[in-house]
Amino acid sequence: MSALARPRLPLRPFTRSGRARTAGDDPRAPWPLAVTGLVIALLALLPLIYLVIRALGVEGDALGFILRPRTIGVVVGTVALGLLVGISTILIGVPVAWLTTRTDLPGRRTWAVLTAIPLALPSYVVGFAFLAFFGPRGTLQGLLAPLGVERLPSIGGLFGAVLVLSLVSFPYVTLATRAAILRLDPAVEESARLLGDRRMTVFRRITLPVLVPAIAAGALLAMLYALSDFGAVGLLQFDSLARAIYLQYGASFDRSLAAVLALGLVAMTVALTAGEGRLRARAGTYATSRRRRPPSIVALGRWRWPALAFCTAVVGLALVIPVGTIAWWMVRGAMSGQPVELLMDVAIDTFLVGALAALAAVLLALPVALLAARHRSRLARFVESSAFAGYALPGIVVALAMIFLATRTVPILYQTMALLILVYAVRFMPQAIGGLRAALGTAGPRLEESGRTLGDGPIRAFTRLTLPFLRPAFLAGGALVFLTVVKELPLALLIAPIGFDTLATEIWDAASSGFYARAAAPAALLVVLSIGTVALLLRAEEAER
Amino acid sequence: MTRASPDPAVRIKGLGRRFGDVVAVDSVDLEVRQGEMLTVLGPSGCGKTTVLRLVAGLDTPDAGTIEIGGRRVAGGGASVPPERRRVGMVFQDVALFPHLTVHDNIGYGLRHDPDREVRIRELLELIDLPDAGRRMPHHLSGGMQQRVAVARALAPRPDVVLLDEPFSSLDAALRTQLRGDVREILRAAGTAAVFVTHDQDEALTLGDRMAVMVRGRVEQVDAPEVVYGEPATPFVSTFVGTANLVHGEARDGFALTRFGAVRLVGQGSGGHRGRGLVVLRPEHLEVIEAPDGPADGASWRVLRRRFAGTEILYEVAAGDGERLWVEAGHAVRRLRVGDAVNLRLREIETVFFGAGHAPPHSTGPSGERAQRLAQRPDALDRLEVERIPEDDDDLADADVPVAPEVGRDLGR
Repeated sequence: MSALARPRLPLRPFTRSGRARTAGDDPRAPWPLAVTGLVIALLALLPLIYLVIRALGVEGDALGFILRPRTIGVVVGTVALGLLVGISTILIGVPVAWLTTRTDLPGRRTWAVLTAIPLALPSYVVGFAFLAFFGPRGTLQGLLAPLGVERLPSIGGLFGAVLVLSLVSFPYVTLATRAAILRLDPAVEESARLLGDRRMTVFRRITLPVLVPAIAAGALLAMLYALSDFGAVGLLQFDSLARAIYLQYGASFDRSLAAVLALGLVAMTVALTAGEGRLRARAGTYATSRRRRPPSIVALGRWRWPALAFCTAVVGLALVIPVGTIAWWMVRGAMSGQPVELLMDVAIDTFLVGALAALAAVLLALPVALLAARHRSRLARFVESSAFAGYALPGIVVALAMIFLATRTVPILYQTMALLILVYAVRFMPQAIGGLRAALGTAGPRLEESGRTLGDGPIRAFTRLTLPFLRPAFLAGGALVFLTVVKELPLALLIAPIGFDTLATEIWDAASSGFYARAAAPAALLVVLSIGTVALLLRAEEAER
Repeated sequence: MTRASPDPAVRIKGLGRRFGDVVAVDSVDLEVRQGEMLTVLGPSGCGKTTVLRLVAGLDTPDAGTIEIGGRRVAGGGASVPPERRRVGMVFQDVALFPHLTVHDNIGYGLRHDPDREVRIRELLELIDLPDAGRRMPHHLSGGMQQRVAVARALAPRPDVVLLDEPFSSLDAALRTQLRGDVREILRAAGTAAVFVTHDQDEALTLGDRMAVMVRGRVEQVDAPEVVYGEPATPFVSTFVGTANLVHGEARDGFALTRFGAVRLVGQGSGGHRGRGLVVLRPEHLEVIEAPDGPADGASWRVLRRRFAGTEILYEVAAGDGERLWVEAGHAVRRLRVGDAVNLRLREIETVFFGAGHAPPHSTGPSGERAQRLAQRPDALDRLEVERIPEDDDDLADADVPVAPEVGRDLGR
């Protein structure tokens, strides 16, 4: 699944104390707004609800299925994948964060930006690039062929999956750690030194323990990404739960068994999400810097060279090899006469779906943001949390549930564009809620009230006074949803009408059949869009701060 | 805990530190005696925090030497790292270890102390938080956090405790209370302390002695009442308390001013001769209400009024443009802007600055003008040219009572 389909730090619901309560705030929402909010919440929760119903109605021996060696093997493999990704993202992400904040590493800012970009690359694009580079008949083999290398060992399986998923998700650890480092008052470390500790001891007794919650929270996000990922494990043929669900669904003896697996995956992601929330709260209480004195800088000296080599290796693996490989295969494809019109058609179809889904998503996000920003009732909190809960579900789980639901209850919708767009809109609306909510915070109810005292009705006051304030948030949120949808894989693969291709499914089909040249052009397009996404996200983060 | 050693707790000689082109600390000499609390007062950016960081070893001086407890720690080839200086420090933003309990924060510097637990309990009692040991820093109020920070700094029995504006992020009421608490705690511990602040009330009430710094230099070090009563430079006179600097002619231990003769005190008071400046505090002048009308010959007019709780200060102007801040006792009816008054000198002793110092000038309450001017390197020199603007004069000696809006203009 695409990188941005995971819950991200700036896109979470605000805490309850997000805005000070002022006189005149009405905790109870007007009923049309409340009903709309409830319907949206229900839509967001629908996949989960339906999955439970379906799993309960499993025919035959569910327990026997769960205890089958193959099922247990998949669960163990999934846990191993998560743990290994967690560990390796810490090993990559923490040094990068430390080098770019606390040392005199040459080009610190550039490294900081370059190491953030991989987060926006879809995992299946990087997976495809690694196959095409390291794979049995890949670029590397081609380069080594003159040396007599006929065949390279396979990059697939657990090793390949851990490698690719670590390289796209380590920025979660880097970003969380960087933030924690910048929020640590330098006087804390200075106090420890004055109390008798040497520099290294201070690092061990103070710096590291204070950063641990943030590092762990970042690693849990990376693990969450790995467990929910469908694209990379699919292409690299590693049997994690996400891929097993897909295969079980395809095998179709008993699709309810796929629902059982999906619930297992949901349970794992819920546990990780809960752990991440607690760790992030802890990291918040460890933030000590009020005045933003810049952190003290360590002179690297001779260590500058190993440090530069490390950063070069990280950026090389996570960015240069994927981008370079895609470019290489695109050139090869163009020289062998790969048709360009096909790509144009697919791109236009994809952008159309993305645009419609973005429009629908911001429209759905508005009532939720209104409830969350203006009313502090239990209902408002329920609606907002439900919207985010749906967002946190792995894409493959949502895809599965929506197919079941459509075939069983509203068959007219099955295999239609309308269903695909609706599912996208419901799933990704949280990306627009955060910004809208923040914008509604600046355009408070006092604004509309002053309009009312000057003779406007409630709706007129809203459209004349508040709506203009929301324009930037609409645009930013919509753009984010658009970019996410355009890169989304599992829903497009399972829900889109037969014969309808998006850029993502095009890459998937071509790469899994070994047509690397055909996959390269759409992949290149997505890489360009991803870099745009990073820029947009950085801007959104600034705006919400 | 005062050591029997004859050495001062801290001795600083010729200390200098520059950051690029900016001279932050400029040949500073300073001594902190055993068991004393020395306050360092100065406008922000005057280099007082840099001095503290140099003493603590968190920064390295470009010139001069520092001794702590008789031991050379910086300068002259010595460079003792902060962890071996036996210095405690309390920071502006508290800087407690966020992941450790209060107990572990206080015990942090006592790793190798066999009486660690006893000492921690002792300090918890000292800071009056005997039951807070198991709490985490972020669960404590700002005042409690700062008390824990003091205890943490005191725990390893340092030779000196450095406090860097420790109360500046707290509200006024809490600050006053904590000021008393911390003074008690440090006195009970008997540890020498340096307390850096830009708040003159804090410096005056807290210090056994106080040093006044501006532009990287120490202008005066003395007991607070001496700094107030016998300021060493015009800057000190206007920065600590409110002061009027008026022209005078010195001779034989007296100076003749427009209000009459005053007895001089301070260094070399008997030797002054010739024209110079005399410091007149607001309370040195008695305000006498003039009956209505200018015909009475009243020479001063009220320009503005500043109520400071326990006292009322008035800025008054004379016909020749001179302006002064004066304090009116409660016997005087509340004066209004434009009222005519006479001033009479009380029987006082004050200081005289000979030629070469700044011209007559008065500062507003709490030396705000001096603070503002001291931010600029050339400020004190500019006092020379910053005379009272000409166009104010005709307002001050207008024949008719000054209208309220005129007063407002002057208060600009």
